[in-house]
Amino acid sequence: MKIGLYFCTCGTNITATVDSEKVIAELTAQFPESYAATVEFICSAEGKSFLKDHLLDNRPDRVVIAACSPREYESTFMQILAEAGINPYFMQMVNIREQVAWVTPDPAEATQKATVAIRSAMARVCLQLPLEKKELEANGDVLVIGAGPAGLQSALFLAEAGRKVVLVEKSPAIGGMPVFFEELFPTMECGPCLLEPFEEEVLHGNYAHNIELLLLSEVTGVTGYYGNFTATIKQTPRFVGPTCIGCGMCVEVCPASGSNELNCGMNKKKAIAMPFLGALPNFPYIDQRSCLRAGGGDCQLCLDACPMPDTVLLDDKERIVERKVGAIILAIGSKLYDCRKVSGLGYGDIPGVMTSLEFERLASSNGPTAGEIKTPAGSAPGSVAIVHCVGSLDVKHQPHCSGICCEYAFKFNRILEHKLPETKVYHLYKELVVPGKDDSSMLDHARKNPSATFIRYRDLKEIEISAVSGGQKISYRCEDGKNDSFTVEMVVLCPAMVGSEDAAKLGDMMDVTCGKAGFFEELNGRLHASQSKVKGVYLAGTCQAPMDIGQATSRAMAAAGYVLSGLAAGKKLVIEPITAAVDEERCSGCRICSGVCPYKAISFMPETETSRINALLCHGCGTCVAACPAGAIQGNHFTNNQILAEIEAILQ
Amino acid sequence: MTKLEQPNAESFEPKIVGFLCNWCSYAGADKAGASQTPYPPNVSIIRVMCSGRVDPQFVLEAFHKGADGVIILACHPGDCHYKVGNYRAVQRHRILLRLLEQFGIEKERCNFDYVSAGEGEKFVRVITGMVSTIKALGPLTLALPVS
Repeated sequence: MKIGLYFCTCGTNITATVDSEKVIAELTAQFPESYAATVEFICSAEGKSFLKDHLLDNRPDRVVIAACSPREYESTFMQILAEAGINPYFMQMVNIREQVAWVTPDPAEATQKATVAIRSAMARVCLQLPLEKKELEANGDVLVIGAGPAGLQSALFLAEAGRKVVLVEKSPAIGGMPVFFEELFPTMECGPCLLEPFEEEVLHGNYAHNIELLLLSEVTGVTGYYGNFTATIKQTPRFVGPTCIGCGMCVEVCPASGSNELNCGMNKKKAIAMPFLGALPNFPYIDQRSCLRAGGGDCQLCLDACPMPDTVLLDDKERIVERKVGAIILAIGSKLYDCRKVSGLGYGDIPGVMTSLEFERLASSNGPTAGEIKTPAGSAPGSVAIVHCVGSLDVKHQPHCSGICCEYAFKFNRILEHKLPETKVYHLYKELVVPGKDDSSMLDHARKNPSATFIRYRDLKEIEISAVSGGQKISYRCEDGKNDSFTVEMVVLCPAMVGSEDAAKLGDMMDVTCGKAGFFEELNGRLHASQSKVKGVYLAGTCQAPMDIGQATSRAMAAAGYVLSGLAAGKKLVIEPITAAVDEERCSGCRICSGVCPYKAISFMPETETSRINALLCHGCGTCVAACPAGAIQGNHFTNNQILAEIEAILQ
Repeated sequence: MTKLEQPNAESFEPKIVGFLCNWCSYAGADKAGASQTPYPPNVSIIRVMCSGRVDPQFVLEAFHKGADGVIILACHPGDCHYKVGNYRAVQRHRILLRLLEQFGIEKERCNFDYVSAGEGEKFVRVITGMVSTIKALGPLTLALPVS
């Protein structure tokens, strides 16, 4: 076999210690069909052009380039091989600069070490096989799960780029959590003013025709892989069709009502009702838990009151639909840590103790009290304690800081200062965290509120809240160890943000792992923070980590960006050749390989009782190759024979 | 195993095969090179994409073919480019050591360590330590003659 050995002197960087002539003489004697050429700087424009011309003139069967680290120029030289009409995988680079010349001052030792390294590369390269990149048709459509700010931003961004988006939302309205907030930190911007035009854009904007919105819907199954997923979606009946004009006449006549979960159960709503005032899309739905018909009655007052034909659909049924997409964006949001798990705070037992989300609803003009902040007894509170870090920064609960709680706590301070100027506000905190260029203004403002008092507590477990006449008594231990207590009329808890139950369910479906606090794990939190560990599944918003709206929508754009660059129109998916492949003849079906694969790329074929590797999902690490007891898996470009040839040549 | 007469540690130059993962340890070796820190030339490096690719049979084959030592270098725990390949590698290494001892191959001859892409200095330290350990142990001679 004719090996072309190209020896780069790298000026004198390599030849200062490595005797190139001696190395070449020894190796060409060992590989007599081979030839060698010395180049001064093979990475320079002249060097590369020399290499290409020399390859074209000499037509070697294999190529070895002894130069610097392959981590730097391997792909450059592979490209030159391809240009010269040689399969790029017929090349091996030998690192005789960083790993020989620069670290071996003795010329005899350096020359010997370089000889061994090049010899092992020459032995290996003879066994290297021609490999080709493969291409696969891919679907450019995208499934976005969750229609909060992150999901909406992804969907809109993709739709604007001409992509078809299936947007699946569990609740009857879009907008996610922030549509329940009257004001947003750090600017005290009106939530609906910011979000409603954005929602309208998704529903009726110039690119809305590219978005299929499925409300009251849940993804119940996902099969396939990057480029070719099939999602099964269950749609709960709404009983109101898209011809609804949102007049609300059906709501007025409805005789039944039930708990309003969108207001955290703080009031009741009719069985047929708008999700909340200002909800988009602006049409009602029937809640089966309170509707008289669902309970066996024959009430149809809503249908009779509706001015539009065929709009109240009393026979509406659950539907199961299937959608084929190339990528999936998970934007399902998060939830608050269950404050009942923090004993001593009285949450769930003492009516005056509420979560931040419940307070948001009280402060909101479309909430249960139309924006009047009232205690459960119905009066405006004269004093409110806001407890920060509930279940956060606490190894017994959640060790992380959610990063946004302090900011909304100071937002509450401003809302109280504005709505109830006489009300005293107590901030009980473990740590105060207000990162970001705009956000410290929230703390500055809260500190300037003459009615506000800041108290640093030592440990959450030392806080004891009890119901007393006129409110709730809070006993705590200060950071200096002294015990203290005071009584307030309302307590607002700011709990840690944690992953939702849906994250675990969807994660199982798609093999996307949930990590700390139940949040989806990123491929890499710094470089690939919007990518999950499963190819083609991306993450956006608070389902991956606590974050504010700005961060969530930025992550959403990043997730959409991955889809736009990875699944470009008319572009096929490229399967890199350095993957593993199962020889089904030799495979015994023991499935040890699928247990060690970090990417779930190996599946078991029951019909042949063998394992098969999906080359698109395989990253080429070779862990399965080493694990296979039958030697039935080949690790392309790192085959057993190639590595054994290296070992043998080193020890020759 | 039969021990040869202990040679002079000064004159014995052990042959050591090093399996380095592409993403961390190989880059760590390059860092040592970039800082031009000298270290003994006894380790010949075989680059693998992941330490998880290192089949215990490669190690056995290296000893069979005359290596006096083998070193496997991986990404630090939690840093594996392929998530968990280094955990597989360390598990296999632990089992392999028990087997090697059965063959009379001292466990010091088969070393496993973590070297990150930034740890050029650690790479030099690990290699230098390995070479002096093997020099102290002397050449490996297997009980069965090598074919």
